[in-house]
Amino acid sequence: MAVKKITKAALTEWVGELVSKERVFGVQSKGDKFDFGPLTSAQDLRLDYDVTLQPPKKYFLPPVETLLTFEVSAGYESQYSDKPFVLIGVHPYDMIAINQIDELFKQGYYDTHYMTRRSNATIITCDVVNASENVFASQMKTATVKDGFDILLTDIGDSYIAEAATEKGEALLSKAETADASKDDLDKREKIQKDNEKNLSKHQLKCEVAELPGLLENAYNHPVWEEKAATCFACGSCNQVCPTCYCFNVQDDVKWDMKTGQRCRAWDGCMLDGFAMVAGGHDFRKKRADRFRHRLYRKAKYVPEKIGGQIACVGCGRCVSACLPDIANPVNVYNRLFDDIKTK
Amino acid sequence: MSKPRIAIFDFACCEGCQLQIVNLEEELLDLIGAVDVVEWREAMSEQSHEYDIAIVEGSITRPEDEDRVEIIRSRAKILIALGACATIGGVNKLKNNFDLDDVKECVYGDDAKMPHLDTAMTKAVDEVVEVDYKVHGCPIDRKEFTYIVRCLLLGKKPEIPEWPVCVECKAKGNPCLWEYGQVCLGPIIRAGCGARCPSSGFRCFGCRGYVDEPNVNAAKDVIEKYGLSIEDLKGKMILFGSTQGPTNE
Amino acid sequence: MCECCTQEKDIYLPQIATVQKVRLMNDTEMYVRFTMDDGGFDYTPGQFVEVSIAGIGEAPLTIASSPTQKDGIELVVRRIGNVTKAIHNLRAGDKIGIRGPLGKGTYPVEHSKGKDLIFICGGIGLVPQRSFINYVLDNRTDYGNVTVLLGTKCYPQRFFQSELQQLEARDDVHYLETVDEAHDCWNGNVGVVTTLIPKIESELASSEIFICGPPIMYKFVLMALAEDSVPRDQIYLNLERKMKCGVGLCGHCQINKYYVCIDGPVFKYSDLGVAPEAI
Repeated sequence: MAVKKITKAALTEWVGELVSKERVFGVQSKGDKFDFGPLTSAQDLRLDYDVTLQPPKKYFLPPVETLLTFEVSAGYESQYSDKPFVLIGVHPYDMIAINQIDELFKQGYYDTHYMTRRSNATIITCDVVNASENVFASQMKTATVKDGFDILLTDIGDSYIAEAATEKGEALLSKAETADASKDDLDKREKIQKDNEKNLSKHQLKCEVAELPGLLENAYNHPVWEEKAATCFACGSCNQVCPTCYCFNVQDDVKWDMKTGQRCRAWDGCMLDGFAMVAGGHDFRKKRADRFRHRLYRKAKYVPEKIGGQIACVGCGRCVSACLPDIANPVNVYNRLFDDIKTK
Repeated sequence: MSKPRIAIFDFACCEGCQLQIVNLEEELLDLIGAVDVVEWREAMSEQSHEYDIAIVEGSITRPEDEDRVEIIRSRAKILIALGACATIGGVNKLKNNFDLDDVKECVYGDDAKMPHLDTAMTKAVDEVVEVDYKVHGCPIDRKEFTYIVRCLLLGKKPEIPEWPVCVECKAKGNPCLWEYGQVCLGPIIRAGCGARCPSSGFRCFGCRGYVDEPNVNAAKDVIEKYGLSIEDLKGKMILFGSTQGPTNE
Repeated sequence: MCECCTQEKDIYLPQIATVQKVRLMNDTEMYVRFTMDDGGFDYTPGQFVEVSIAGIGEAPLTIASSPTQKDGIELVVRRIGNVTKAIHNLRAGDKIGIRGPLGKGTYPVEHSKGKDLIFICGGIGLVPQRSFINYVLDNRTDYGNVTVLLGTKCYPQRFFQSELQQLEARDDVHYLETVDEAHDCWNGNVGVVTTLIPKIESELASSEIFICGPPIMYKFVLMALAEDSVPRDQIYLNLERKMKCGVGLCGHCQINKYYVCIDGPVFKYSDLGVAPEAI
């Protein structure tokens, strides 16, 4: 598929067409920050954003969703959200997070609810223009992305380079007024991507990202877990803003007829009190420090073992910004372990 | 199966939580269709001593109120505390920060010594009698209230969040109000409100009470980081948290 | 729905089953037998189901019966949460939802053939073990010596009493039992289940050992077995956690890297070295 170039004016026109015809979600300003939301005007799209408050995960795994409806003694019926939509402005690190959850939700058991939303989506990613205050994607090797998206946009100044990676993306892009990208254009894109692969580094990891699982082999009883968790609110903010967290709870509610109702899935968080409590009251991960450790082991050891070694932290920095007592930063913890374990 | 009989009582409060029930609008019809309301001073004139579920609004502020709520408890199979005044003592507990004679004089002036104006330290309902379920908030959240009632009708224990408001706030994509200079109590206050205040740009005032294990050390750390003093934080906590848990520490 | 999904079934959708029989076994435990309305249900001892009561929710329950038993699937349900409370209100003929069988870590029915087996059960831990015990008894010649140790809190809490009597009466099963608290009508062993272990010391090293009981029990049984230097790859633990989704996603049942719902519920002890949260 040929790589195209699209002027900023043409992109606005193209997005304007899209929002008039399709369900489109895109990055917009929210006060002095940014977030994904329903896009109604191309002018509102902010591809120059630094980071969104919530990752785009919510379009595939919503904070609350109905899995099925039921009628007492009559049975259950699956519920699906099957409307196609376009998602514009996903940063590479968030795209990689989506790719990871895709894998988790189809390996072993196939989650039709997640996958239906996923296959209804056309994803337009964009290379990062402005680094956020806590991004460390370069450190996690997630500053650029090679697959998963339908179209990749790169801002090269007066225009965007647009590369369709799927037939769906190509069909969508064909509706825009584009020209073939020149060698010079592609060089510009490559430079931007190369720069991002270095510069999205507000926090520096002292080891290679691939060394993290090995580092955790010997870190289970390290004092850092207790030390950090001493000031943990167990508020789950780190879980709630994380693009790779996917734990959930399931709850039933009935209508007033007391017969019909729905079974809903809602986000949960491994940092929350009671997360591992069984009926009867035994809590298998009662201590904050144990939950704190579990989260960081999930990111760099447990989940990677399920997805071919990829580290399940993509360096978006959202947890760093969201954590009030400033303990959530994975880089700080991993560096501390590196200092204490590897340099000894 | 006969419909459970429900009676609604009020103690020291603004009755705003009962008003939330009245404000259920169409859903109110569903509610009174599913249960048999036998007493509800705010909405009807009938009274009854026979009920299965007692819904108690307001805090307990006089010795005679203690007697009354004990009688209610003895008649009810299930007792629900409705709203912050009932669940945690609420704003009424501000009184407990002062000498009671001063309080009476401040409020009633020359009449402060009149016997019918006597007052005692404010108590949440569960400081006097056993409470089965709590509908938190000032005012209560209507959705949560109806969910809890439906759970009871099904014979099921409702799942009330044990985690802080931040969970719901972050899930909504709100920026943290601490970044904007507000001393938000979200990290130590029980969720379930859908982070209503922070979602509207107002800090969490703490009306749902503290989570089971609020991390006071963390709160101290954070106020230092933001250049505030313990007193600044406590000043925000006394509105709904007077003479309770971490406010005293 | 999209094309890719029409080929996949909804992993959260319960199948309808009919309750055939219920019986209260003691103060807190209820016996339930059900059959699937669409017939088919193949399972291996150690697997569990998510029992769904519409409007209340789902509860993970390990199957108590052996697949060799053809008149239905049996559960023993302790009344402890919303769903189990609702299950206690069920009557024969009622419909329930079932997801499963779930769990890929099952009892090693094939691997254990020809070997001597020891089952160490604490209280309700008898229930999951019963699935394999009965399987073994129904295929008795395939297995070596069978020893069952059972510890119960007190005499009135014992259940499957007639089956226990039959076990005791069998020549081809070595059955030992104890209760934590002595009781007038009990003249057997008194003490926790670990007190029975010295009585079978000579059998330990050559047997496959299966443990299931309350959380606290594992630690003490394993300590006792360690004293006798039983190799860890001969020990199997049947673990319980909050298996909410049952399909390895929701995260609640995770023990370090393992999800009890897919990697277990039965684990080989030697595989749990990397999972300090297990015990």
